[in-house]
Amino acid sequence: MARFILRRLALAVPTLLGVLVVAFLLLYVAPGDPVTAMLGQRADPATVARLRAELHLDDPLPVRFARYADGVLHGRLGRSYVTDRPITADIAERFPKTLELAAAAMLLATTCGITLGVLSARRPGGWVDRLALGVAYLGISFPVYWVGLLLILVFAVGLRWLPPSGSGGLRYLILPALALGMRSIAFQARVTRSSMLDALGADFTRTARAKGAGEWRVVSRHALRNALIPVITVVGLDFGSYLTGSILTETVFSWPGLGRYVVDAIARRDLPAIQGSVLFLSVVFVAVNLVADVAYAKADPRVAY
Amino acid sequence: MPRPSARSARSPLLLVLPCLALACRGAPPDTTARRTLVDSRDTYDPRSLDPALSTDVPTGRAVSYVYEGLTRFTPDARLEPALAERWDVSPGGRTYTFHLRAGVRFQDGTPLTARDVVHSFTRALDPATHGGRADPLLPIRGAAAVADGKATVVAGLAAPDDSTVVVTLDRPLAIFPKLLAMPVASVLPAGAPAAIGDHPVGTGPWKLVRWKHDDYLLFARNPDYWGGPAESDSLEARIIAEPSTAVAEFEAGNVDVTEIPPDEMPSWEADSAKRQRLVSGPSLQLVYVAINTTRGPLRDVRVRQAINDAVDTKTILARLLHGQGRVAAGVIPPALGGADTTRAPYPYDPAKARALLAAAGYPAGIDVQLWTGATPVMVRVAEAIQAYLDAVGIRTKIEQRDYATASQASRRGETDLFLKDWYADYPDAEDFLDPLLGGRNAGLGGNVSFYRNPSFDALMARARVETDAGRRDALYRSADSLAFADAPMLYLYFYDHLFAVQPWIRGFTIPVIFNGQRWTHVSIARGPAPR
Repeated sequence: MARFILRRLALAVPTLLGVLVVAFLLLYVAPGDPVTAMLGQRADPATVARLRAELHLDDPLPVRFARYADGVLHGRLGRSYVTDRPITADIAERFPKTLELAAAAMLLATTCGITLGVLSARRPGGWVDRLALGVAYLGISFPVYWVGLLLILVFAVGLRWLPPSGSGGLRYLILPALALGMRSIAFQARVTRSSMLDALGADFTRTARAKGAGEWRVVSRHALRNALIPVITVVGLDFGSYLTGSILTETVFSWPGLGRYVVDAIARRDLPAIQGSVLFLSVVFVAVNLVADVAYAKADPRVAY
Repeated sequence: MPRPSARSARSPLLLVLPCLALACRGAPPDTTARRTLVDSRDTYDPRSLDPALSTDVPTGRAVSYVYEGLTRFTPDARLEPALAERWDVSPGGRTYTFHLRAGVRFQDGTPLTARDVVHSFTRALDPATHGGRADPLLPIRGAAAVADGKATVVAGLAAPDDSTVVVTLDRPLAIFPKLLAMPVASVLPAGAPAAIGDHPVGTGPWKLVRWKHDDYLLFARNPDYWGGPAESDSLEARIIAEPSTAVAEFEAGNVDVTEIPPDEMPSWEADSAKRQRLVSGPSLQLVYVAINTTRGPLRDVRVRQAINDAVDTKTILARLLHGQGRVAAGVIPPALGGADTTRAPYPYDPAKARALLAAAGYPAGIDVQLWTGATPVMVRVAEAIQAYLDAVGIRTKIEQRDYATASQASRRGETDLFLKDWYADYPDAEDFLDPLLGGRNAGLGGNVSFYRNPSFDALMARARVETDAGRRDALYRSADSLAFADAPMLYLYFYDHLFAVQPWIRGFTIPVIFNGQRWTHVSIARGPAPR
């Protein structure tokens, strides 16, 4: 296992180097000038030239890349063109909020999704199954933006049970986590259901029943443990994408996470902020995938590395 | 006849949502216990609370709470003394002597002196500050040299004693005191810490308590404010990116002031309780289509006039903006001196437009591209314009990009038509005429019409040095008329922003200019909240 992890870590290095190069070049070829985005429409050519020189924007591409790569290797992501704050400080302030939201959404999604999936599989075609199917359809087909606004109007404006937006205690977390987790609930319910059906019909389940194991033990120990393997993959992928910024949810609920930060940075062509966040998020994504792979191996001893 | 549709793509959804919400409406909000004023007009985080970095509205607004300059604007956009109690202008108009208000202290307790003013202006110009845009200070003699890093002392700034600042300009500039009311000219203490952007120290009515980026800024009143402490304990500026969310916060009673986007106007005007909350603010925003006067058929004034005659601006304003504004017949907003409110807009006359096109030698019409950013309202306005232009044979292709991309293309002269807007930085006709039409600004953000008219520039040069406000307004009016006839743009409308203000708020008026409302005389009325 240790060798497996080391090998995966070694493989992550070229991936991240690739991200470094691509993020840099993409912004170089993308239209839109950071200086005019910074200075507003009134800037005169002398001011623009002054700032371009100050930001080394007129240096040749390789020189700029070398300076950037050198900074990154020394742990410096640079300072934002817009706020003049270090990018690392900006990320450090926002990432915990994104993590909080992603974790809450994931917790909600796995609890509800797996429970619904297991219950559906117990009685295929029963009312729980049909209800879960309905929920899944809605969860997958409703756009998160719309679900978000609906939740706000019903639970915050109408019933006044929860605050419409912002961040703070648990009260602020519920609606955005629900909006964000909706798709995952649906997805995980469906995946759990189908793999539970397979597991419940498998030979080992029949054997367990034949040995006289109780129904609860059959479902939870024998069937569910085997059925969870594909679910882990889904959870890992979803969690990875939540962590890399749930832009729409953060926007609708005015949640101060990394997704909004990146969108604002792109709109303002804040190059160091975009590059720094993209790089950071790539690291996160690689790490989450690694953890998912390890969990996969743990859950299924047949998976050999 | 083309008919612009006022319905947004989202409207079916938006119809369902309020019904559901109404079905489960709960108790009225308990807000009278709240002692903090909450403003939710900002849609993105301020850049910094370092005045030198103030180039956008949220930043400028927050800076105006904590800091002050020598002058400032009232909510109705009049200029009034702030840290300078009064000022004298030398007969030639090149030297301004500012007399500082006595007894003013910074929020850290240090007294304000003329040295702080000199230091603040020099610092804003210094390239090491990374501010980048100190153009309001550039008219000062020697300011450009400091901004270029060629000097460390601004030649035209002097502090002969603790309470006097003498500013010498390169050339006379009648509106200079207005430039000093801009956020970048705010005064901070000479011994201010380097981290002033996060730990601001000003002389203003509010002190920063906490700033949670992308979430809110919380200010507490400055009890020692020279103008008397603010009426409310604290002020919170919420940062809410999505307008529908801000509106929901307003309906839940959590915010006191919010902007109502054009999309939501009909539902607000249909509801009698909500309608009473609406306040319209005559803003200094012009929406226009820059016509690149250097490209193909658009070089011909008749073609540009045809574009103006072809579009029914009145209907666009009525249908897409729900009448929130005024059709533009010139670039000067009606609220400012120099505006000619009697000038007739271009009439909607498709037949005349076709005749003008034919006279210009294009009886078969022309092809143009119309660039626009991605704001939903702007996209709909662009589609309406496209339909009107197509109808007279100006075949229009819409190029929709994100704003930064479209703006860069227009600066490079690659756009035929570019639908955009222009906000005033300071309330003066000069801030529309010069950036949008001045020859020296051709190819910059405002004048992407690349309009160059020596007679126009001559009038503006005279206006710049004219110290008599009446005569200056007359010059502005003439310049505006001159350009209007040349049609370097499709004149659309001045948009009046619509806000909702809670019934328990006392003393709040929508400022005409973004930094004209400092909330010092605003309070929350006690007693049950009417609903």
